[in-house]
Amino acid sequence: MKIEKVIVIGTGTMGQGIAQWFTQQNIITEMVDQNYEFALNGLGKIHQSFAKLEANGKLTALDIQTFQKNLSVKRFEEIDPRASLVIEAIIEDLGAKKKLFADLDVLMSAETILASNTSSFPITQIAQNLSAERKKKFLGLHFFNPATLMKLVEVISGMETDRSVSNALISWFNARKKVACECADSPGFIVNRVARNFYGEALRAVESYDENKCREVDAVMKAVGGFKMGPFELMDLIGIDINYSVTESVYNAFFQEARFKPHRLQRDMVAAGRLGKKSGKGFYSYE
Amino acid sequence: MNSNIMVVAHPDHPLYMEMIKHYRVRTIDEALNTYEPCDLVIDLSPLRTQKKFLFLKELAKTTKAKMITDLTLSWGEWIFKYAPQVGGAISTLFWAPSNAFEYSLRDPRDADLKKAIDDFALIMQMKAIEHKNLALSFHYPRTIAMIINEAYFALGEKLTTAEAIDLAMKNGVNYPLGPVEWGEKIGLHYVAQLLEELNTITRDDRYRLSTELKLHAFKNL
Repeated sequence: MKIEKVIVIGTGTMGQGIAQWFTQQNIITEMVDQNYEFALNGLGKIHQSFAKLEANGKLTALDIQTFQKNLSVKRFEEIDPRASLVIEAIIEDLGAKKKLFADLDVLMSAETILASNTSSFPITQIAQNLSAERKKKFLGLHFFNPATLMKLVEVISGMETDRSVSNALISWFNARKKVACECADSPGFIVNRVARNFYGEALRAVESYDENKCREVDAVMKAVGGFKMGPFELMDLIGIDINYSVTESVYNAFFQEARFKPHRLQRDMVAAGRLGKKSGKGFYSYE
Repeated sequence: MNSNIMVVAHPDHPLYMEMIKHYRVRTIDEALNTYEPCDLVIDLSPLRTQKKFLFLKELAKTTKAKMITDLTLSWGEWIFKYAPQVGGAISTLFWAPSNAFEYSLRDPRDADLKKAIDDFALIMQMKAIEHKNLALSFHYPRTIAMIINEAYFALGEKLTTAEAIDLAMKNGVNYPLGPVEWGEKIGLHYVAQLLEELNTITRDDRYRLSTELKLHAFKNL
């Protein structure tokens, strides 16, 4: 498989990380966002990241020059229809994703592979309105934050995805030091499903908010379990609202399976505006 | 050899080989039938709440020694409430990647038992991490058991392969081990027993055991 140009749509944290990673593979990358200024801001953050990597001796000035030349911001109507791959990383809104892909189906060449970085919606459902031929070239590519550092890419085939396309992408990623894991189109895929009870069980261990108890659970999971971060620290870092939303999404997608039931403490923390690090206060205080 | 301490353990216990180098180790039957004098009992028998309670009750008839018991598979709060001879609880049955275990004291000011647990940890070359106010279960075993169970649910549904699940969890969220290899290290029969105990105590379906895990954990139903 040859990938010469990638378009990343959605330039939030994940979109930026994905775009930066592809750029660092010497692939021409275009960043697109509904809000052009937002995309430019994302590009600026990637340039800052390059500067930090240069300062740390991880990239040379020549590397950065090449990467910057390969990375650009485009308006939707300016994107190259002959790009090899389009990766969507917009907000988790099924309607918005379906509409975007319907537009891309018309705009992009027959050879272009379309992929969603969704963490919660079934790939087959997102592909629902695509042409039969495009469905064969549509799949999920789920990256992990920060995409430049985390090796995993979950490669999710929908019901109509041509397996030769997903297999070729798996080989392509694996050849570039990513760890591409194939999985079926099921809620939460692998990680967001299997990891749910790292948080769920911790929340049940404390039951009601008690900072000392949160500290104890975090200390045990690090000191005994060998995890780099405890569940409460991690929820604070991810954002308690985001974590709660993923839990609800997986819970509902599994038709209210008890194993994924959210905890009232998550709901209460969100209602109180204690969203974690980003709001200055979550299970712990950052003020 | 710590002659004043009697350890009760099954050869299947992950620390068994190390324990027999340092302690007088007895099986459950031996412990109940030998009436050997000791100052402290460290019971590491892998029993669920009801059997654990009955064993501790019988053991209390043979010795007045203080007791520290492993409650990895038992309802900690219940044992503390109804087995007054137990002064400390530990959780050593689940293999852990960091060579550490949780402990809880009935009375956090009990310096003798605290020292006994610290000494045990030192001899086993492990770290003892305090868990205050032990309730349903120790934190590490209940959490890792749920993660392993979910991995087996996923395998049962043919979501992906065991290798892919392990790779994904290590490379996507930095787990020190993948849940499938983790389960093998701990012993799936122990994981299954803990989940069944949590399910029995709480009657909460969240602790329902995956049939795939059951298939791998139990040779005999």
